[in-house]
Amino acid sequence: MLPLTHYLSLSFALFFIGLMGVLTRRNLIIKLFSIEIILNATSINFMAFARLYGDAPGQVFAVLVVAMLAIELLVALATIAATCSRWKSATPDDEPDLSAQLDY
Amino acid sequence: MLNHILSVFRTYMHGDGAVLLPEMQLFLFAIGTLAMDAWAANTSNEKHGSNPIFQQKYWNPAVALAGIAFSAFTLWMLRARILQSGDLAGFHLTLVVDSYFVFFSALLLVATALAILLSVNCAGISVVRQGRYYALLLFACMSMMLMVSAVDLLVIFLAVEAASISAYFLAATPGLSNRSPSAAVRFLFSSALGSALVAFAFSLLYGLSGATNISQVAGALARRHNVAKVITLSHQSGSQMLQLLLSRLPEAVHWHSFTLEALPIAAFTLVSVGMILKFAAPPFQPEFNRVNGETDFGIPSPVILYLAGAYAIAAVALLLRSLFTIFADSQNIWWYIIAALAIGGISYGVLASLRQTNLERIIVYLSIANMGYVLLGVVAANEGAATAMTYYLLTYLFMVTGVFGILIAVRGRNTCAGGLNDLSGLRQRSPVTALLLIIFVLSLAGAPPTAGFFGRYFIFRSLLETGHRYIAWFVALSSLLVAYSYLRVAVYAWRGDKSETESAAESFGIPEAIVLGVCVFVSLAAGLYSEPFTRMARYAFGQ
Repeated sequence: MLPLTHYLSLSFALFFIGLMGVLTRRNLIIKLFSIEIILNATSINFMAFARLYGDAPGQVFAVLVVAMLAIELLVALATIAATCSRWKSATPDDEPDLSAQLDY
Repeated sequence: MLNHILSVFRTYMHGDGAVLLPEMQLFLFAIGTLAMDAWAANTSNEKHGSNPIFQQKYWNPAVALAGIAFSAFTLWMLRARILQSGDLAGFHLTLVVDSYFVFFSALLLVATALAILLSVNCAGISVVRQGRYYALLLFACMSMMLMVSAVDLLVIFLAVEAASISAYFLAATPGLSNRSPSAAVRFLFSSALGSALVAFAFSLLYGLSGATNISQVAGALARRHNVAKVITLSHQSGSQMLQLLLSRLPEAVHWHSFTLEALPIAAFTLVSVGMILKFAAPPFQPEFNRVNGETDFGIPSPVILYLAGAYAIAAVALLLRSLFTIFADSQNIWWYIIAALAIGGISYGVLASLRQTNLERIIVYLSIANMGYVLLGVVAANEGAATAMTYYLLTYLFMVTGVFGILIAVRGRNTCAGGLNDLSGLRQRSPVTALLLIIFVLSLAGAPPTAGFFGRYFIFRSLLETGHRYIAWFVALSSLLVAYSYLRVAVYAWRGDKSETESAAESFGIPEAIVLGVCVFVSLAAGLYSEPFTRMARYAFGQ
């Protein structure tokens, strides 16, 4: 069994990658991915600790985090899709810097 | 068979069900609103003609208000029950009903009821199909009540996510300028980042304690502090001691004393920053200042009110509960972090509000400052501070609702009002409106006989009592800036404007009149005769 520190290092690395992504990237989709990376780091933490303690709550929490991640992704993508279609068709000039964000 | 089912149901309602009953009622009424909305879309309006009682515009909010009334009644019954037989707990100690829950749930129910009343005649909302809008308000209220009631990390996380998702949808309600989704995207990203940070902090807490119940987590954190010391000592005093430690305390092998000391602080910081990101989320949208200069958020005013009022109150309530249970024993460490965050929030909110010319945005930025004052009460953390914080939240809700009520009334059918210049001449057009606005604004600014003054004064006093003299002076001095920022609004409302004297006077509908009446009563009464209100505030912490 790998020591706990390995799992923690991985999850902290993912956490900081996600945090930097949210704070520095301008593209909305990439920002969304970064938030999901933080939540994945959370899942890894929970699984590692559940294995350390050998109990169920951590595993349940990890599964719930995945479910919540899916729901949030869905809502966020729906909102982004609604916004982008509006920027492209209705009022592109009102949102110059926002529409620029969506170009990869 | 039926008897058996009934008896099972009855046992459930006396046990776990009672703990969840207020939330369940809200949920059922929300589903009912949705169902009736779908039914109304199928049956055309011709059948009922123009009879206003049958208009969707009125009976959707009426059903939602009925749900809130039922829930409030149940809450009242629960209050009597916990007075008799102590706090209730259910669902394997994941939900509790204590005085803290009763107080904040009542506050959230009132906030939701006021938001519903203000939505009835709001120009932005009467366009959309409203059933889902009111259902979303009820869902949001339900999840926020769960946030206050939950004492298990898992349930807290679920409730926070449920409240956030309702809030995302609410923020995406098309507003006046039909630009809502972009505001919703901004709100969504800061709020989602907040919940991700909170989730990560919860994983650390679970890892440190091996439990998800917050009182068990608190106990484990308190023990960890000693374990860290023992590990450090054993590392210093040789291998024999280390062997002994490993035989007595097997989990010590996984931990280093540094991580044991650092991880709780990391978890604490993440929880605080995450919750602050959630309640300070709406105005963290600098792009909106550049878009068309003066336009509104694009979110309907009642929704902004709900996000800056109820949503913020729920986040603060959850933060307070977690601070006072999970991190209770290390108050001497974390008060620096909270003080820094609160002072930063106050400064940011005040300075940003000085540059704004849009009434909504001024109020929303200053709401960050107000939540900062509430958090400074956590720094003092004595009995007076607990009363001060709940009193502040209680009165703040009514004052800010009053301002938004005026704003919605002033707007009426006029789509682009909301700038400070639109307020000028309000005194000539409608003296009553101007007077009410000035009362609310003076109260928010903290003028002496009003509720706002006492809220800030109680915080100031408790900070002095606990010896945080510099922070107390910061409160006093920054209050002057806050007052200046609010009084700007009052000056615009009072200032005459000769060009527009002939325009129509603002007319209140019955819902707005009720809201404004309640709000002006609380803003004045809580200041002039504060005893009943401070008693309510004391009740929240079971004093």
